[in-house]
Amino acid sequence: MTKVVLALALLLSAFPIYYMFIMATRTNEEAIDVPPPLLPGGHLGENIQRLLSTEDAYFMTGLINSAIVSITVTVSVVLISTLAGFAFAKLRFRGSKILLGLILVTMMVPLQQMGIVPLYELMVTLGWTGQLKAVILPFLVNGFGVFMMTQYATQAVPDELVEAARVDGASTMRIYANVILPALRPGMAVLALLVFMQTWNEFMWPLIVLNPDNPVVQTSIAALNQAHGTDYVMLFTGTAASVLPLFIVFIAFGRQIVGGLMEGAVKA
Amino acid sequence: MTLHVDSPAAPPRPGPERPTGHRGPRRGSGWARFDLRATPYFLVSPYFLLFAVFGIFPLVYTLWVSLHEWELAGDKTFVGVENYIELITDAAFWNAVINTLGMFVMSTVPQLVLALLLANALNKRIRGRLFFRLGVLLPLITSVVAVAVVFTQLYGRDYGMINWFLSLFDVEAINWQNQKWSSWIAISTMIDWRWTGYNAIILLAAMQTIPKDLYEAASIDGASARRQFWQITFPMLRPTIIFVVFISTIGGLTLFTEPVMFDGNPTMSGGATGQYQTVAMFIVKEAFRDFDFGYAAAASWLLFALILLGTLINYSFTRRIGGSK
Amino acid sequence: MLNNKRQGKLAAVAVMAATALAITSCSSSEPAKPAAGGSSSAAAAEPVTITVHTFGGGENFGYDKAVETWNAAHPNIQVKYQNLTDRFEDVYLPQLLQRLQANSGAADIIALDEGAMGLMKARPQFFTDLAEYGLDSRKADFPAAKWDNGINADNKLFALGTDIGGMTMCYRKDLFEKAGLPTDREEVGKLWPDWAAFMEVGKKFQAANPGKTDPKFLDGPNTLYNVILSQEAPKNGNVAYFDKQNQLVIETNPAIKTSFDTVKSFSEAGLTAKLASFTPPWNAAIKKGGFATMGCPAWMLGVVSGAAGEGNKGKWDVAAVPGGAGNWGGSYLAVPKQSKHPKEAAEVLNYLTGKEGHVMAFQEAAAFPSSIPAQQDPAVADLKNAFFNDAPTGKIFGESVKDLLPVFLGEKHAQVKTSVEKVLEGMDQGSVPYDQAWTKFLEAGVKAAG
Repeated sequence: MTKVVLALALLLSAFPIYYMFIMATRTNEEAIDVPPPLLPGGHLGENIQRLLSTEDAYFMTGLINSAIVSITVTVSVVLISTLAGFAFAKLRFRGSKILLGLILVTMMVPLQQMGIVPLYELMVTLGWTGQLKAVILPFLVNGFGVFMMTQYATQAVPDELVEAARVDGASTMRIYANVILPALRPGMAVLALLVFMQTWNEFMWPLIVLNPDNPVVQTSIAALNQAHGTDYVMLFTGTAASVLPLFIVFIAFGRQIVGGLMEGAVKA
Repeated sequence: MTLHVDSPAAPPRPGPERPTGHRGPRRGSGWARFDLRATPYFLVSPYFLLFAVFGIFPLVYTLWVSLHEWELAGDKTFVGVENYIELITDAAFWNAVINTLGMFVMSTVPQLVLALLLANALNKRIRGRLFFRLGVLLPLITSVVAVAVVFTQLYGRDYGMINWFLSLFDVEAINWQNQKWSSWIAISTMIDWRWTGYNAIILLAAMQTIPKDLYEAASIDGASARRQFWQITFPMLRPTIIFVVFISTIGGLTLFTEPVMFDGNPTMSGGATGQYQTVAMFIVKEAFRDFDFGYAAAASWLLFALILLGTLINYSFTRRIGGSK
Repeated sequence: MLNNKRQGKLAAVAVMAATALAITSCSSSEPAKPAAGGSSSAAAAEPVTITVHTFGGGENFGYDKAVETWNAAHPNIQVKYQNLTDRFEDVYLPQLLQRLQANSGAADIIALDEGAMGLMKARPQFFTDLAEYGLDSRKADFPAAKWDNGINADNKLFALGTDIGGMTMCYRKDLFEKAGLPTDREEVGKLWPDWAAFMEVGKKFQAANPGKTDPKFLDGPNTLYNVILSQEAPKNGNVAYFDKQNQLVIETNPAIKTSFDTVKSFSEAGLTAKLASFTPPWNAAIKKGGFATMGCPAWMLGVVSGAAGEGNKGKWDVAAVPGGAGNWGGSYLAVPKQSKHPKEAAEVLNYLTGKEGHVMAFQEAAAFPSSIPAQQDPAVADLKNAFFNDAPTGKIFGESVKDLLPVFLGEKHAQVKTSVEKVLEGMDQGSVPYDQAWTKFLEAGVKAAG
């Protein structure tokens, strides 16, 4: 029973991804055959070539932009969240409960949906539409990150450790650097993974605020789908290429990611 | 991950008194006191500064816009609550609300059941555990747009694999986009495919924290595996389940990418008669297809109210069983 | 000072060149050349990039070759051509409006479908006055109606015509043969003098293809509806959804009701493949032969050949359309005010709408030129379309546009069009019952005109 469940889960998980790579190796005629092809063909090379030479999809630009945006957002959010999480979990200050409560409330606010109108007007006023900073800055606000780091720091760092450092004369920032950060590392890894993926996947806001010649990878795939919708295999080559970087990271660090996710899940 | 809604701040801990009041040791006492008093605010300030600009401002400004007939670069006329009145009588808006809630339920319920089942299976002693765990997480790192592109192709009416498979059982080709039920199923499977494995891993982590002696004691009492699951595992997992539901509530009520891509083109209409137009799509359509910013802003606030309501229900739920951990 | 002087000189050269082009209508429609060359003696001009945004399925505007040719000859003005989407009304147009209003993100040259011209004419603040760059000299090149449509509310020239949408019927030769119908384009055209006859042919075709997975006679509601509307509107005051005072007449214009009813009858007879046009499944069906006929304005041939792919060369053909002449679509190019290089953009626009650009676009995407010199050019008039079995498309379309009177389209035409056609799609696919469709159709139209 267990084996059947697991085998089925694995099959269902893998199949769409497998299918995506199959399509990327086929021709457009084969792609809409009935029954659909289930084995790889020999056209991957030419599909990749066509994808890269189709300049007006700006696919490589999108890939690079997405990497820039996601890395910037991830680093910032993790940093901001650990700073705030440390303060909320291990320091006493007036108003801390209210402030943390406020963050909890903001987690429920779908800022990107609620805010599209004013955020868009803000970007127009600043003249930032079409620029990457327009899709970086709004995503630095991540209440979930602060919440998660607060929870994690509460459980992962014993108060005694902080007190001991205090007694030794360490300043708050020194405690953050020497005591808190090392202890938070597994939680930070999980947060980083989640934020990176969330940012990498962001679609609505880039679709609105970016321009077609400077897309992120998701909007670039959407553009492939719209303007080259009849070139299925190129579209699939693009989608395959868009997930490949994450796959490589995932396979290389799989053990740590799963371990971190599970540890993070319990501690946070 | 569990949700401690009742105790947002770190509870006071036993241990040595914090040196808040009295003189700090070593360094100059002035600096130490300043450090203790001020640094916490400095630590939380980056978040709140950004939040003020990209959180508070949009919220308040959206409210302001929602009270106007508002064009992007054009006229802005104050109309009071007219947009809200129009909205609550707008069948298209409620259609979007129903679609959003429907797809939320349709995706979340099977997702949780499957995740529990999967977590239970992953918790057994088996060879290649890491392999299986990685396997079920694979969908999570596949980008949403990619998932939507693949599934939309699979659900194609004429040349899609799913209809081909169904045709083997003499089922007539389904136009998945055409009806509410079929489009909801298709979109829900996209969501579930991506998130079930992740939720299973989270639930698995929580399962492994359940003390083994509980099960041993139950075994001695002669409880079956099924009984053990319902009597021990499930209650112990409740906080985690609530966390998972909480996260999928926010994700579900703001559903956007999958239905947009399922349409093939970002028209935001969600099918010929809005069969799968979500509230988020409705907002974008009003704002950036029809340029009725005021109306879109009002819809944003109603969406917020909807989410608050959903969370409130969650919250009262949490309160009732929150003490279980 | 120096700069001003030079610019003045360049503009003068450009005007002269453009005038020369208009008068002689020779193929040297490259006013930029002397300008670019002239500046090389002074500090070498910075190379500028001119972006061009278009829309449309398949081969869309067919500018690949034209842009390549231009770029090879103009190292200092490089054109980047990007086709954004195949959906005009509900994707391209709103995104364009958004970028015009944001004053950022629109291309240096933008393509506009005729359906949006009313809207754009009413917003002169967004566009460069092309007369400033001498393009008013092109007036003699265009039919009066096409030219007048490029004049906005401020009485300024803001857009020049590209193509014009004379009407034919595309059909799958191989499917006709299989169904026992004639395949020669003359004979096929004779099968259907009017839509009633077309219906009879359709029934015959469908009787020969009774299976669930067999091809259907027509693609879906959208193309059929637009073709019929383009024929009916001229009979009813030459207006569609709006009268010439921009009042919504969707309920009273018989052209709309007739078009709707005809589409409904074809849908009810089960002759459609229930496909909305310009969607992925529609494209797939063009490629796979999911349907046998489709109303084809000139530019649609490029959509079909692009979507079907080289592998289907010769399977499609074109015949006369039932019901006579009509114009559906046809586009314009304009330069938004936000362009940082309006002068160079105007030069490129002049080239693309000039004879050379038009001819290359016709060869590539079958977009039949609206400019008279291009229409008369043997490269257009005698062109045979290899993809469509060497159909003499130059001759066919040349004749079909002769007596065309463009339909007046109101300011909100595009919004109404996209909304009511959604109802047609719903009706055809079954989510809107036939007996409620007309009411819903009107409701959607009134709401969109709002």
